[in-house]
Amino acid sequence: MAQSTLKGIPRALRGALDKVALWSRINSPWLVHFNSGSCNGCDIEILATLAPRYDLERFGVKLQGSPRHADVLICTGPVTRLARERLLRTYEQMPVPKFVVAVGSCSITGGAFHGCYNIVGDIGDVIPVDVYVPGCPPRPEAIIDGVVQLLTKLKGGAPAKAPEADARLGGGS
Amino acid sequence: MSVETDFLRIQGSVAPWVSGSRTAENRLDMDTSAERLVPAVTALRSLSWGYLSAITGFDSGTAAPSDGHIELLYHFCNGPAVATFRVKVPREDPSVPSIGPLVPSAVMYERELAETMGVKVAGLPKKRQFLSDDWPENVYPLRKDFTMESAAATREVGPAVGSEEAPGTFIIPIGPQHPALKEPGHFELAVDGEIVTHADIRLGYVHRGIEKGAEDRSWVHNIYLMERICGICSHIHATAYVLGVESLSGVAVPPRAQTVRTIFCEMERIHSHLLWLGVAAHQAGFDTLFMYSWRDRETIMDLLEELSGNRVNYSVNLLGGVKYDIDGKAADSVRRGLDFLERRTTHYLKIVTTDESFLRRTRGVGAITFDQANLLGTIGPTARASGVSRDLRVEAPYMAYRDFPVRPVLDSRCDLEARFVVRINELFESYRLIREMLDHMPAGELAVPAPRKVPEGEVISRVEAPRGELFYYIRSTGGVKPDRVKVRTPSLCNWAAVLSVAVGHKLADIPMIMVGIDPCFSCNDRSITLRRRGSAESWSWEDLRAYGISYYAGGGA
Ligand code: SF4
Repeated sequence: MAQSTLKGIPRALRGALDKVALWSRINSPWLVHFNSGSCNGCDIEILATLAPRYDLERFGVKLQGSPRHADVLICTGPVTRLARERLLRTYEQMPVPKFVVAVGSCSITGGAFHGCYNIVGDIGDVIPVDVYVPGCPPRPEAIIDGVVQLLTKLKGGAPAKAPEADARLGGGS
Repeated sequence: MSVETDFLRIQGSVAPWVSGSRTAENRLDMDTSAERLVPAVTALRSLSWGYLSAITGFDSGTAAPSDGHIELLYHFCNGPAVATFRVKVPREDPSVPSIGPLVPSAVMYERELAETMGVKVAGLPKKRQFLSDDWPENVYPLRKDFTMESAAATREVGPAVGSEEAPGTFIIPIGPQHPALKEPGHFELAVDGEIVTHADIRLGYVHRGIEKGAEDRSWVHNIYLMERICGICSHIHATAYVLGVESLSGVAVPPRAQTVRTIFCEMERIHSHLLWLGVAAHQAGFDTLFMYSWRDRETIMDLLEELSGNRVNYSVNLLGGVKYDIDGKAADSVRRGLDFLERRTTHYLKIVTTDESFLRRTRGVGAITFDQANLLGTIGPTARASGVSRDLRVEAPYMAYRDFPVRPVLDSRCDLEARFVVRINELFESYRLIREMLDHMPAGELAVPAPRKVPEGEVISRVEAPRGELFYYIRSTGGVKPDRVKVRTPSLCNWAAVLSVAVGHKLADIPMIMVGIDPCFSCNDRSITLRRRGSAESWSWEDLRAYGISYYAGGGA
């Protein structure tokens, strides 16, 4: 169960309100997108996923401008030296509970850019990731599947605790 | 005037400051020195010939038999011709004067040299542009003796220093943004009320170190890496690279392969321009157009997938040819797709030239005059919308453009509307070209074998990407890996122009002006900070966009 954000409300009510919050979170998760060094390939596929053909919005998903309004951080790219702090800051600005989807091979292992001097790691090295979507870039269907998997996880599971606790889909880095 | 007479004219006027010069096909190399660089460039500028296309630096390393120098190449281009000043400086004390006062667009390239090569450029702003602020001092990634261990150190970062702000002005930092090699930018806009008084940019957020990475990878492996410099123009990067390597190794690529490559180049232009049309419309608050153009863009994505199996990184190129053929059946589905897109594009052209509310955001806004575009080295559709005819497909045809000439698309109105019209008209031109190539596809092989080692030498490879001229400099020392790959992406050239036109415009117009040069702008949701003498308030690009839209919705008062 996601952590309750209802401090100061009578205990009896909390359970019911938590259920409502979870229900609305699952039915309308808001996304914020962050590119920490990608080639843009994954980013355009994420945008394509939101466009009419694939229409991710039919799951209630909405792309949001500010991390403060978002439930899900959708990340692309390896993490560059300069973007690292921004990624952390964006993550920290999001209200709890928060979830992270890492899209693309280079967000999983560094991918094509593995070993380049300005790369400090992959997304999982910096923030905890809930769902990895491999591919270079993944097809829109795969991105949708990633988001749907997250929603399924929300129904029953808890957000990821630490990067080590995650089963890596694309192999370790 | 022919290239040869141009070169003679240049050699004549720079002669006193040049110690030797050589010509080859479309290339003129002139040796000069750090002291004589400025007068030599002045002499070249006085001829009003060409524009500064890139500055390449490479390190000859300390191993014998090299004499331990860094060589700087200042490439000036005009159509197919490239005139290069070559300056050798010692590794211990590599100093050169800045040519910024003569060529404003040089500053960005000089900054890059200073950070990645450790070249001391006198009179350059101190602020870091590409590497992160905590990158250690005196560690230069593109030097040959660079090791990853030396980069692990950090340097002390002082408190963030604002620009020299006059009291009472706001500084609005926006960004960081933009994917591709070094394009992600963080802007700082100083505003006085509504009006932007100063604009500055910080790059390097997705600077990944690809140029150095290329030196550790084999010639073949690099095709994969180059495709991933930018996911929007992946094919053109790989194409510029393979064309360069093939010319170094003297491989003659079969005509059918060249035509297939060219068809993919044009299909990529179509997907890129449609993508831009949507994103630009979104910035103006016209989301209906955004959704329609992205829906239609799926047509070209389907075709790309049908031909190559991939939607984004099509991975078409091999050294020596291509992987995929386009047969009769595939050609027919491409034709059908293009027919549909052509009808839609006609509709879009009508919308962007007649829709009243949209025209209020574009007509007469963000004008880059012919002279500015020319002087600031603007390229691609941005230049062509200011009447500057710079299109390598026309001026220096390569691949199948030799047999299927491109008609240049120009507009002399210089404003944002012109940039929309030029790009949309280029779509029609691409449809025509692809149809013609499909109808007259040369028969023959798809690939010839290419050697694994590339002979010693250097080559400049320039192609027309969707956003303008893409410049590759490739150098080989005869091994299985390149010695140096320098990439200058098109958007880098256009920043100088856009920053200077932003000044004097209303804050509400900035999103549209920025997006007007198509700076790989597909993901604009980053925090920005609005700073007023110490206190800070957060804005996102989204807020700025919303501000722009509501400003105009409220009558622009
Ligand atoms: S996974 Fe591939 S397509 Fe996606 S950002 Fe990384 S390099 Fe680009």
